[in-house]
Amino acid sequence: MNVLTFFEATPDEVDAPTVDDLQAVTEDVWLALVGEDEVLLPRLVPPGTPFDATGVWSAAVTISGGWHGVVTVELDADVAGRLSARMLDLPSAEDAEDADVADAVGELVNMIGGNVKSLMPGPSVLSLPAVAAGRAVFASDVTEVCRIDVAWRGGPVRICIHVPNASGGSR
Amino acid sequence: MRAMIIDDSRAMRSILRRIVSGLDFETTEAENGQVALDQMHAGVVPDVCLVDWNMPVMDGYTFITEVRANPEWRDVTLMMVTTESEQRNIVRALAAGAHEYVIKPFTPDAIVEKLSLLGLVPADSAQGAWA
Amino acid sequence: MVYDEGKEYLVEARLNPLAAAKGLDLEQYVARLAFDADERRKVIDALTINETSWFRDHTPYQAFTDAMLPPLLEERSMTRRLRIWSAACSSGQEAYSIAMLLDQHLPAGWEYEIVCTDISTQMLERVRAGKYSQVEVNRGLPATSLVRYFTRVGRDWEIAERLRERVTVKHMNLAAPFPMLGAFDVIWLRNVLIYFDAETKADILRRMLPMLAPDGYLLLGSSETTLDMPADLTASWRRDQIGRVPAYRRASAMTLSRTGA
Repeated sequence: MNVLTFFEATPDEVDAPTVDDLQAVTEDVWLALVGEDEVLLPRLVPPGTPFDATGVWSAAVTISGGWHGVVTVELDADVAGRLSARMLDLPSAEDAEDADVADAVGELVNMIGGNVKSLMPGPSVLSLPAVAAGRAVFASDVTEVCRIDVAWRGGPVRICIHVPNASGGSR
Repeated sequence: MRAMIIDDSRAMRSILRRIVSGLDFETTEAENGQVALDQMHAGVVPDVCLVDWNMPVMDGYTFITEVRANPEWRDVTLMMVTTESEQRNIVRALAAGAHEYVIKPFTPDAIVEKLSLLGLVPADSAQGAWA
Repeated sequence: MVYDEGKEYLVEARLNPLAAAKGLDLEQYVARLAFDADERRKVIDALTINETSWFRDHTPYQAFTDAMLPPLLEERSMTRRLRIWSAACSSGQEAYSIAMLLDQHLPAGWEYEIVCTDISTQMLERVRAGKYSQVEVNRGLPATSLVRYFTRVGRDWEIAERLRERVTVKHMNLAAPFPMLGAFDVIWLRNVLIYFDAETKADILRRMLPMLAPDGYLLLGSSETTLDMPADLTASWRRDQIGRVPAYRRASAMTLSRTGA
């Protein structure tokens, strides 16, 4: 083993939740919101692929303090509508208006973000959620450190964690 | 029994409302701590408040501090229901006067069992109330 | 273990993944169980219902601290030691709930041991690890106990070492003869008899008699009773009502001690 590979084999200094952590947090949240009967299925998506749903809702929360990062959720519009209907007890996804979806998706990212925060060094503060219709856009001064792609009832869902470049290192 | 559900998310209030209504609670709702305090000052004093932590205008931590500072409301039971789940935050909330603490995400049983611990619903409601 | 009809789909749903993992269909897999002990153990793990919360049903725990502990503290003042059996302990919430109560209510200088037995080795591993998920610590555990007895470790909450060291685990099938475990002051056998047929149930309750100290207590689940049992059992187990909680005592032993033996 030469020195170079030795250094490469050493884990990054990036302090971020693992994919396992993010997956488990997301599954717990999903299970609590929609019940046991419909699970999230894994999706194989090559790194760098833009979120590929036709209609998209996205939401983000920022964590700042002992650790800095942004947690984002992107959902297929159909998934977002169904999830909102479930949370708000509406008869069907078609009954979910934009304000309903914005509220429900905001609560979703709040729950995931709060749980991510608790896994990282603190104390930190969780921002209120920001929700938008459309794909999430990331500034160039942040680096993706963790991402999961899953599907619910065939519709894609993506959850990402970004950290500022200063602590994100060179990936 | 009356429950006040304090959360900035309508979807979360809807979820909590369905759970406690199923236990025969009358419910009122507020979208932040300030609105809840205003309601209480106007005479709507519940038996229990289910309180989120992160909310605009007034957060849940400030709300429980305010409620505990008013001796007229000493009988109001306070239960945090929040995604804040660091040990130090749970300790802080309990020290400020919260009686119980539920971490989001939760299953309906978790809410029922905690209300049962607080003596607000009969112990046997905790089983099968949501089967 | 007996499952009602109607629950068959549940059994299938739990076995199909195991069969698939071996590349077999359900029928082939079931045939294989006859001679594959490892797979049998996995099936037991998959079929055993492990839904549980802390201080489940609440009232038995209250009866334990309010009505059972005081006389036991008096009777055991020489040995200053209590032994508890959590039979069919599942993931350990019952055992650690009891441990939390004993930690609060036993006077200084007292010792206690909680023996956890279960048919599932996977569950026993969990009890030994003493780690619970966020979803699990949400279930019936007072927040004051959460912060007092647990430490956050990553996604999990880990129970305090001083409670964990009082808990020992042992692999055991209640339907088979019991190994030597010594006598217990309180036996928690809650919500497990319902999974056995009437004959096995009676057999288990018969074999429980010598496992209990003469002045000890046996606790069953709220839907379980010795009243519908064969005559020898209804005669040997006396039912003591403690508030809303029925506790079962050894009838003959109680009579003996009353006549001054």
